Amino acid sequence: MSRRTILVVDDEPQIRRAVHNALAGDDARIFDAATGTAALTSAASERPDLVVLDLGLPDMPGIDVCRELRGWSEAPILVLSARHTDDEKVALLDAGADDYMTKPFSVVELQARVRALLRRSRAGDSQPQIRSGALVIDLVARTASVRGQLVHLTPIEWELLRTLATNAGRTLTHRQIFAKVWQGRAAGDAQQYLRVHVAHLRRKIEEDPVRPRHIITEPGVGYRFASAEQA
Amino acid sequence: MTRPPIRWRALLFWLGTLAAVTAVMLAVRGNLDKAHVTLVLLLVVLGASAVGGRTVGVAAAIASFLVFNWFFLPPYYTFVIANPLDWLVLVAFLITGLVAAQLLYRAQEEARIARERSVEVDRLATLGAETLSVGSAEASLAAVTTVIRNSTGAAKCEVHLRGAQHSALVDWVLATGNAAAQQQDGTVHLHSARPTEAELRALETGVVLALLLPLQARERVVGVLRVESPQGLRLDPARWRFLDAISYYAALAVERAQLVADAERSEALRETNRLKDALLASVSHDLRTPLTTIKALAHDLSALGDERSEIIEAEADRLNRTVEDLLDLSRLNAGALQVRAEINSVDDLLGALVQRVEGSVGPHRLVVSLPPEAPLLLGRFDLVHSLRILANLVENAAKYSPPDQPIEIGVARHGSHVAVGVSDRGPGVTLGEEERIFDAFYRSSSVPDVGGAGLGLSIARRLAEAQQGSLEYGARPGGGSVFTLRLPAVDETALMKS
Repeated sequence: MSRRTILVVDDEPQIRRAVHNALAGDDARIFDAATGTAALTSAASERPDLVVLDLGLPDMPGIDVCRELRGWSEAPILVLSARHTDDEKVALLDAGADDYMTKPFSVVELQARVRALLRRSRAGDSQPQIRSGALVIDLVARTASVRGQLVHLTPIEWELLRTLATNAGRTLTHRQIFAKVWQGRAAGDAQQYLRVHVAHLRRKIEEDPVRPRHIITEPGVGYRFASAEQA
Repeated sequence: MTRPPIRWRALLFWLGTLAAVTAVMLAVRGNLDKAHVTLVLLLVVLGASAVGGRTVGVAAAIASFLVFNWFFLPPYYTFVIANPLDWLVLVAFLITGLVAAQLLYRAQEEARIARERSVEVDRLATLGAETLSVGSAEASLAAVTTVIRNSTGAAKCEVHLRGAQHSALVDWVLATGNAAAQQQDGTVHLHSARPTEAELRALETGVVLALLLPLQARERVVGVLRVESPQGLRLDPARWRFLDAISYYAALAVERAQLVADAERSEALRETNRLKDALLASVSHDLRTPLTTIKALAHDLSALGDERSEIIEAEADRLNRTVEDLLDLSRLNAGALQVRAEINSVDDLLGALVQRVEGSVGPHRLVVSLPPEAPLLLGRFDLVHSLRILANLVENAAKYSPPDQPIEIGVARHGSHVAVGVSDRGPGVTLGEEERIFDAFYRSSSVPDVGGAGLGLSIARRLAEAQQGSLEYGARPGGGSVFTLRLPAVDETALMKS
């Protein structure tokens, strides 16, 4: 396995060090930046596989860094923020960020999110099957099964599952999910049923809907497919 | 309308003049035609009317009529009239005299009223200018009372504003918008703000020492004008009209004073809120950044096998929750909390809840009763706020109940609401404190201090109410507490049909 490069952008040296410690390992090379300008420069030269971006940068708004980066880089962006309103998070995700974490975050959680994002960028989009624990999603046959048992899904539930699973590790906003699943086929009011469809889907694919392992709720923001790690 | 008093002196003067003129004309009666006599007498009648008023004029007209008949119409010195044509002259003279007297009186009266009106308009204009041009609101109120006192001749003029301590009578006027008059004999007459003439006449039979008028601006009673005079106040319709108009100006002044005060207050409030927001944002940033470092370092320590690292992490989380509480409380107090009531499933709420709290309930087992085969429960609520409420309840339950007892979470549909209950086997709440536990900073006397600022439940209840829900405490059968969060329910069938 080739070494992945991760760019850590934060103006606080302590945070940079903490993230550095949490992510550095045999398979990852970390380099960091303290300002937005420096981040864009090193992202251009180093071509990182992942960017961990703090929002409170001294020289430019984090959301602008996010947008600029997304303009020419496919690297997943994980945002860290200490000032967090749900609107801010949604705006960030819509601007191209893949996931966000609010400070103070737990290191274990950070590691898990980074792993999920890296796995997705490594896997690419062209895999025929997505496996997550006991759940198998066959993108070619358009079926889902739990422990070998086929699950009956409505067309909307299938689209939901496919959208979330092919974006595993990314937090998708309600709006993003809606746009992808309905593709402009329904008027705005259907958007409010999104959560109802998710609840039905969960009851079909999650073993315990109260402790979902696949579809994680990001309250006030959207949903994230967390593929259970394979042995 | 009151009758003007009869001017006796003018009457005597003009009767005297009539006598003198008659005497002169008698001396030359042989050379006079009837027309000369009537013209001269008519001059006397006009003079009497112009100077002495209507009563004197009419008296002069009648006296002239008698004089004319007695002295100048043959046969002389009788009221008998020989020539029937003389009747015509006589009656024409009488009518001319009376009409002239009346017309003159009316013209003069109109001129007088016009003069009074112009004085009134002058006063009101002064008042308007005073009310609106004086710098401070207090100064404009003071100016209004001065103008009212000067123009009504009252000894005292006060404006009572809403909100202060008043006499019962002032309060009554404030509450009803009616007027009140205090009489010298101690009685109080209560009237509508625009009394009828009959009511005014009834008032004038006594001496009105003080008058209380409602100050109305835009259909709202903003204060009471009290005008006082130990000599008694004149209250004819014109006076009343003037007071009515003047009290409108006073009302405008009061309203202006209040608007200025409101504007100053809201400007100060806005500034305070802006500062508070800036402070909150920087406090939240400045507190969370070091907490992140502390948690990360604790994690590094745990890799070295130091068990204390877990405590450090847990305490950092607790500190973070306290920061969150304070931020939410100040948002709630500033009315800056956004509520997004959207259609959400209870599954989603409980799933997010378990995910959030499972790490922070320590040794407690979390038992969630949500049978997968039960129908989906839906509600219209704010997921983020509801999650916060429930997380708070679960963390509280974990704080207070024995470690071997599970914390149970149950859901049910109660009519138009979805109820989520969080039950523990803790000490429960002392009788009589069931509501007080929802007060900010209130700590129950019955339980050991387990840390926390006592904000959680108060915030939780306010968050529940902000989304048309409720949060109640109940004693749990067999010991412990049940906190029930109720949120507006939505029916799936109705939803999908619409």
